[in-house]
Amino acid sequence: MTENLDNKTVISMRGVWKYFDSLPALQDVNLDVSAKERVVIIGPSGSGKSTALRSINRLEEIDKGTILVNGLDIMDKSNNINLIRHKVGMVFQQFNLFPHKTVLQNVTLAPIKLLKLTRDEAEERAFGLLKKVGISEKANVYPSMLSGGQQQRVAIARALAMQPEIMLFDEPTSALDPEMVGEVLNVMIALAEEGMTMVCVTHEMGFARTVADRVIFMDQGQILEAGEPDLLFDNPRHPRLKFFLNHIL
Amino acid sequence: MAETEEKQSAGNIVMVTEGGAIPNPHEFHLINAWSISLTLALTSLFALCIIWPEPYLRILFYLPDGIVVTFQITLLSICFAVPIGFITGIGRISQNRCIKLIASTYVEIIRGIPLLVQLFYIYYALSRFFQVSGIASAVTAISICYGAYMGEVFRAGIAAIPRGQTEASRSLGFNRFQTMAYVILPQAMRTILPPVGNECIAMLKDTALVSIMAVPDIMQRARSFVGTTYLYFETYTVIALVYLVITLLLSKAVSIMEAKLNYYDRKSR
Repeated sequence: MTENLDNKTVISMRGVWKYFDSLPALQDVNLDVSAKERVVIIGPSGSGKSTALRSINRLEEIDKGTILVNGLDIMDKSNNINLIRHKVGMVFQQFNLFPHKTVLQNVTLAPIKLLKLTRDEAEERAFGLLKKVGISEKANVYPSMLSGGQQQRVAIARALAMQPEIMLFDEPTSALDPEMVGEVLNVMIALAEEGMTMVCVTHEMGFARTVADRVIFMDQGQILEAGEPDLLFDNPRHPRLKFFLNHIL
Repeated sequence: MAETEEKQSAGNIVMVTEGGAIPNPHEFHLINAWSISLTLALTSLFALCIIWPEPYLRILFYLPDGIVVTFQITLLSICFAVPIGFITGIGRISQNRCIKLIASTYVEIIRGIPLLVQLFYIYYALSRFFQVSGIASAVTAISICYGAYMGEVFRAGIAAIPRGQTEASRSLGFNRFQTMAYVILPQAMRTILPPVGNECIAMLKDTALVSIMAVPDIMQRARSFVGTTYLYFETYTVIALVYLVITLLLSKAVSIMEAKLNYYDRKSR
């Protein structure tokens, strides 16, 4: 799995600490992600996996350590975080589509306003993406008319419209009815096959096993174990991971 | 995450002043409180004027100048109070502690002083330092007062938008201002506009206070009419009905606007 990767490191977290009040949410997290690598983060709730993910595009501000994205220190005030975020797409558990905009407007808003695309260019790009996530026939409806799975696929299209180099997924299927999980995972698998760099927090172990180049297990704000999915799932070494896998499978 | 979002969106507008009750836009029955009130007001007004044109019709014809002045003061005050309210609302949720304190202190002080006292203060008390016309001091006092009330409406409306909306917008690369302009405010408008409309109606009613400073609004016209004719009952009956008709029509306008703003929230059911 690792042999098809080139060695360029696109995300680098070094000695990252984050506190919520006095409670440490991240404790000395170190993580490197190479271009085109698919990393899946698993762990019990409250383990800091979402916090770790959200700190990569600075939705959470870390208290200590450094995070480099494409070689740029995201906490450095001289680097424009908004420009860094152009290249880092994010998909949320709760979809967070803009309810006052149609599906098409959701996808075209950022390219028009931020990348200065014309409306035609942005809509052409949007229709391409909506077709890719299989929802182009719903372009002109409002998000409230869509099912959860459809909304999440629109959210993926919205993030892709900025043509990011990295995609972050924060439990993208956790808020979905079981029968809708598959349609979202299929979109993510297709994206992975195209070579998108992905970091994904999920409870979908099947997805982790088939798609991930590397699985990270976190608990209590620490990375306890990391490795290729087959190795990690079949021969877990850390007792906490053994316990976790026994209880979710 | 899901829990906090629910809590945030559940936190809705808290009314801070009494305004005319805005008709429920989903209420389609022909007979409701609003239609009964309007019918009663209009029929009594017409009946009085037809049965006893003297003095009722004479009173009614004496008023139009005052209605114009009342609307002038109201509209001018809205033009100032809404921006003041917006800035105050933004200030109250600012991450900058200093701005937050200034905005909160302003709201706290203004809400603690009766509007009538504020009017007198600007018109009479401050006249030691500078003289302003009745209308100017009326507009100033009402704007400052209602700006504070509306600040609360704006604050609550913006705070009711789930945090995920901001996060989605910021993660795309929008800065704080763009997020406010493209994502938060258009959604907040839906919750903000009805109570703001309500405040504007309350404001129109409160302009009656300015008659005390000899500003020739509806109320002042009535007082001067009474001053020469001593027809207290007849004059104030007409005045009450005129105010009622105006506020009922305006609250209907607000409710129509509210219904139009709900365009995107219809479920597929």
